[in-house]
Amino acid sequence: MKPDKHRPTVGIFKFASCDGCQLTLLDCEDDLLAVAGAVDIRYFPEASRNIGKGPFDIAFVEGSITTHHDADRIQQIRRQARILIALGACATAGGIQALRNWHDSGEYVRQVYAKPDYISTLKTSTPVAEHVPIDYELRGCPVQKTHFLEIVCALLTGRRPQLPSASLCIECKRKGNTCLLVASSEPCLGPATQAGCGAICPAMGRACYGCFGPHENANAPALAKRFREDGMSEPDLQRAFRTYNAWAWQFRKASEEVET
Amino acid sequence: MAQNIIIPHVSRIEGHAKIAIHLNDAGEVDSAQLHVTQVRGFEKFTEGRPYYEMPSITARICGICPVSHLLASSKACDAIMAVRIPPAAKLLRELLHCAQFVQSHALSFFHLSAPDLLLGMDSDPAERNILGVLEQHPELARDGIALRKFGQLAIERLAGERVHPAWVVPGGVHAPLRSDLRDAILGELPIARSIVRRTLQMFKGVLDGFKAEIDSFDNEPTAYAGLVTRENSMHWYDGAVAFIDENGAPLARFEDPGEYSNYIGEAAVPFSYLKAPYFIPRGYPAGIYRVGPLARLNVAETCGTPLADAELAEYRQRAGHPAQSAFYFHYARLIEALRGVERMEMLLQHPDILSTHIRARAQVNCLEGTGIIEAPRGLLIHHYQVNEAGAIVKANLIVATGHNNLAMNHAVEQVAKRFVKGAKIEEGMLNRVSAVVRAFDPCLSCSTHALGQPALQIDLLSPQGELLDRVAN
Repeated sequence: MKPDKHRPTVGIFKFASCDGCQLTLLDCEDDLLAVAGAVDIRYFPEASRNIGKGPFDIAFVEGSITTHHDADRIQQIRRQARILIALGACATAGGIQALRNWHDSGEYVRQVYAKPDYISTLKTSTPVAEHVPIDYELRGCPVQKTHFLEIVCALLTGRRPQLPSASLCIECKRKGNTCLLVASSEPCLGPATQAGCGAICPAMGRACYGCFGPHENANAPALAKRFREDGMSEPDLQRAFRTYNAWAWQFRKASEEVET
Repeated sequence: MAQNIIIPHVSRIEGHAKIAIHLNDAGEVDSAQLHVTQVRGFEKFTEGRPYYEMPSITARICGICPVSHLLASSKACDAIMAVRIPPAAKLLRELLHCAQFVQSHALSFFHLSAPDLLLGMDSDPAERNILGVLEQHPELARDGIALRKFGQLAIERLAGERVHPAWVVPGGVHAPLRSDLRDAILGELPIARSIVRRTLQMFKGVLDGFKAEIDSFDNEPTAYAGLVTRENSMHWYDGAVAFIDENGAPLARFEDPGEYSNYIGEAAVPFSYLKAPYFIPRGYPAGIYRVGPLARLNVAETCGTPLADAELAEYRQRAGHPAQSAFYFHYARLIEALRGVERMEMLLQHPDILSTHIRARAQVNCLEGTGIIEAPRGLLIHHYQVNEAGAIVKANLIVATGHNNLAMNHAVEQVAKRFVKGAKIEEGMLNRVSAVVRAFDPCLSCSTHALGQPALQIDLLSPQGELLDRVAN
């Protein structure tokens, strides 16, 4: 695509992640053509060798910050971006790799590498917002393509994006799913998890495991209390909150309150 | 003056990589290496987690082929539970896997490699992407988008979502297939089949224009490894692991996945944290072997589906047997996409596919389990040890990009020696080095599962071992 001063410039940047969120953008298929026509994609290493220069009207950032180099790079991106959007659980909550935040990272390095002096890793895997201010976040592991299209359309037309903010329970009620927590005492994270996925797992009879992270008013410790009453052991309780959004503060608080 | 050329981001591969090319005093390429710059720590942080969480956790290693990790992990968990999963569950898992092959191969061919193949290796990098293909070859780009969509939509219909679905579980799958969804996939199948067939025709037409690449892409003969059935036909979900030598003669074969460590050793290489697996009987580094589409078509006698087998016969006439040039990865990938579509049709028409017996339930019955499947990029091994309570004591993962590690470094060096001459960097040279890496379709998200991100440092040494230059990120 040739540069066009009337189209907003977009950059898509990657840190520590699985690339699933970026590929969800490619999953827009038919819509990809329309989106690609409406914006000027300047930086998207997954899809193109073209490494354009900023500034960017919109920067999408996938992945968590895990190295000193990452920590510098996110500052540079913030300086070049008018709107910065964190994309997916790694960027919004540190991702599954944040599980290492409760371990001694030096021990990891010594165990895996023959020459640990080559490793320059931070002790923690942290979300983008711990390093720079962000404008929006798209939740999920991975993000939903409908949310991505919504935020792009909203920004293009200058309106506020309409993204889910309630708990997953709302989506279960809409779908008419039987409540797994109430009816069968399954350890479902739905009450503390942000809606957005469409309640895929509960619809299949599988308890929610929190891909979208805690919603704004989540009371994770209260949910932990309920799990405990249903007979969940303390280590299991801790693990329930420590998955893809383990470092999100509500889940972190609930898991750290557990006595193991 | 000796110097290094560094290509900081090999774009259009999934994940991050850097290539360092070392020049000698005469300005010739001395050596070249591929560095993978990021790792994430899965083997370590899964310690202590219950085995049944492993499929969902390890799926997060990779957003491109999460289904591969889901399946290999679930097979390892089946082994820990010591269950034989119901026949319908096996059919459904394989169906999901075939859909993933179709979408993943479509992504690799159309979105990531077609820009080089169709627009030319030396074309303007600003245009050399899927959008550039869309402008110049709109039908082909639309075909690519449609084929990937067919695979992704089938995954969504089967498993509820496209990336990281929660449907595959230890013992089987979570929900049976609905007949209306089966019919929907069957209804879309003829279009997908005709897309792959016409793309194959197109590709065979342009193949002769890439003689230089075929000759200079990694064509050093190596051993190959892949999964095969008892009849030596290709299989992606189940089967024996077979090794053949560079002439196509059998080297080894094992049925029990747990035996892998008798054949596959993992060497730690000094210049990269990514371990280099090798075939133990030949030792390191002589035990170099390749996996993936090229290897699978070399190892198996047939694809097991009629149209793909007809293409395979023609492929062998063009590429020889065993095919050696890494350039043929692209051709092999298209034939496999055809097999994937055909195999999906066979599975969807199987009388047991709608059965509601889809899951075996059991506790821990073995303290060790290994699952091996063919991921789109090649053999994938998940090996777990658990305690009596089912908590992971040790996890070892060997991914396709790992198996190919030795071969990829060979390949980068071979291409660099041919296309990089003198200190002047021309776009075409650099892109060919990157393109050879893309031919392997390395999934660097997968191979970075280990931990953190090592600082990349490239040292340039004179023939006397004196440090001439150092570049670090």
